[in-house]
Amino acid sequence: MDRRHFLRWIGKGILGTSGFLLCTRSVAWGKSAFDYALEGQNLIAAKRFAEARDVLKEAIRLDPKSDWAHGLLGRAYYGLGQKAEAVAAFRGAVRINPADTYSRMMIEIITQKPIPRPKKPRRPPTPLEKKARAEEEAMVSHLSSEGGLAYQVKRVVIDPGHGGFDSGAVGPAGLKEKDVTLDLAQRLKRRISEKGKIKCFLTRTGDYYIPLSDRTVIANQYQADLFVSIHINANENRKAHGCETYYCSEKASSKEAARVAAFENAVLKYDEPFKKSPGYIDIEEILFNFERKLYWEESGKFARTFQNRFEQALPFRSRGVHSANFFVLRRAKMPSILLETGFISNYDEEAELKKVSVREKITLAVIRGLLYGRG
Amino acid sequence: MDVDDLIFQGADYHYKGEFDKAIAKFQAAVRIDPQNEYAHNQLGILYAKKERFDAAFRVFQKVVRIDARNTYALLWLGILYLKQGNLERGFEKFQRIMEIDPTNADGYYFLGAIYNFRHNTAKAIEYLKRARDADSDEPDTHYRLAQAFHNLDMTANALLEYQRTLALKPSHTKAISGIGWIYYNRGGRDAAIAEWKKIIKINPKDRDAIFNLAKAYNDLAWEAMKRSKPKEAISYWKKTLRVDPKNKAAVYYLKKYQA
Repeated sequence: MDRRHFLRWIGKGILGTSGFLLCTRSVAWGKSAFDYALEGQNLIAAKRFAEARDVLKEAIRLDPKSDWAHGLLGRAYYGLGQKAEAVAAFRGAVRINPADTYSRMMIEIITQKPIPRPKKPRRPPTPLEKKARAEEEAMVSHLSSEGGLAYQVKRVVIDPGHGGFDSGAVGPAGLKEKDVTLDLAQRLKRRISEKGKIKCFLTRTGDYYIPLSDRTVIANQYQADLFVSIHINANENRKAHGCETYYCSEKASSKEAARVAAFENAVLKYDEPFKKSPGYIDIEEILFNFERKLYWEESGKFARTFQNRFEQALPFRSRGVHSANFFVLRRAKMPSILLETGFISNYDEEAELKKVSVREKITLAVIRGLLYGRG
Repeated sequence: MDVDDLIFQGADYHYKGEFDKAIAKFQAAVRIDPQNEYAHNQLGILYAKKERFDAAFRVFQKVVRIDARNTYALLWLGILYLKQGNLERGFEKFQRIMEIDPTNADGYYFLGAIYNFRHNTAKAIEYLKRARDADSDEPDTHYRLAQAFHNLDMTANALLEYQRTLALKPSHTKAISGIGWIYYNRGGRDAAIAEWKKIIKINPKDRDAIFNLAKAYNDLAWEAMKRSKPKEAISYWKKTLRVDPKNKAAVYYLKKYQA
């Protein structure tokens, strides 16, 4: 609506009627809130907005719960060109009477375009606010040093697969997946810590079992930017060999993955029980879905980077990058990948995985992928 | 009928949730006054509420053609770009809003949220602080700012913003969860557990709270085992199973150490 139309409309004197009906005489003698509001309305009609503002303020002082007076005050401010104050007054009317269509509409009309903000009164800081300010001042150099939309990794959680009673796959010569994954994770943590650019956390540091749910909880606990789960593959066919990388994706790469996705989606419903009512646009849900999509895309990029590094550095055939809905990846609130560094069920690869030199190559390939791989 | 009457009626139907009637009124209004930005914007929102996102998109584009400074339409275009998964175009629209109106809290909020998604926490903090300073009444602005501070280990700021989130929306379970992790990582396990239990009271099926509690009890059980206190450990694993009955670790270790 343009200004000309709006003013014509104002001239018609459209009012929130409920406020009018609810308004009661709060003072038995002299001028009541009702009288002041009525006078304010007449002054608005006469375009004497400053006088209207003053009498309407008096009306509100006498009857703070009059949505009618608040709405009129909004109109007086609007007439004076004080849009921010007008919005505040209309909001006051809507707070008292949410069904006040006129005031709601006015808020929307005014806020379609930029409006100057009113200054807020300051109050003394609380002890936590003081502490927060000191903390921020100490971090100021760090805070001003970064820029850009490229995904940034400053914390990584490494998850050595299996552990404790769950040995994972066992090779023909007795090598256990849980031992290889823990050793690789510990090597990675050492190396990453030496570089000093990225903080590294492990989901387990010894031979004990932690459930899948705990692993992503740990990634969330440390606000990780990347979650890397390390596994060693196995197959009944002992000839199967090579390394591959998985990431979580909307598009399942097999029927089995699709079935798992359906199950996981059913689980996800429990997380958001208060969401989605018809005719309601949930902005946070849009952002949640967007964030998840970004993380999946980013996971795909990380997966390809690591797999490229493996191709270049490891004595194993590359089996490529795949997507699937692993529980351990799906619940992580950051990009997450799962590495399958060789087949423990294959005689030759089991022998390779026993070698410290091969484990070091795997470690270095992951570190290079982390630090340099993605430009 | 006069265009202003149509708009008023349309707005009234909109607020009452009678979207089809509202759409009809606003469509009639824009036929009479094709330059009416408010009526177009209302139509856009109504189409979005009816999940007719393409139609909504076209309407908001029309508003921007009428007036390139209509920040409301630009904001919704940005949101709809994010809905399509288009980061760059969404980002561009929010930046445009900031050029037009450097005090626009919504524009800062979305830019801050995008930087948060890229884990560029310094930038996220910069924009979300501006969003907070422009309009401090949005719980999610405080929550996302808290997340960004938390990611940088600035726990006093994170705690403050989580608390501000909860002051505005006491049922914000993600903020409660964040406070729990701050306490937990400082060694305040009981305080963390108390926070996560609050979430369970709000939503007994909250998976994050269930898994957080299960992890905390499992950790406590292991610590008890290290101190050679198996009875204490058993009591913690039992607690794990009360919140997460299928927790494989608790099931296994209870069976093993109770025997």
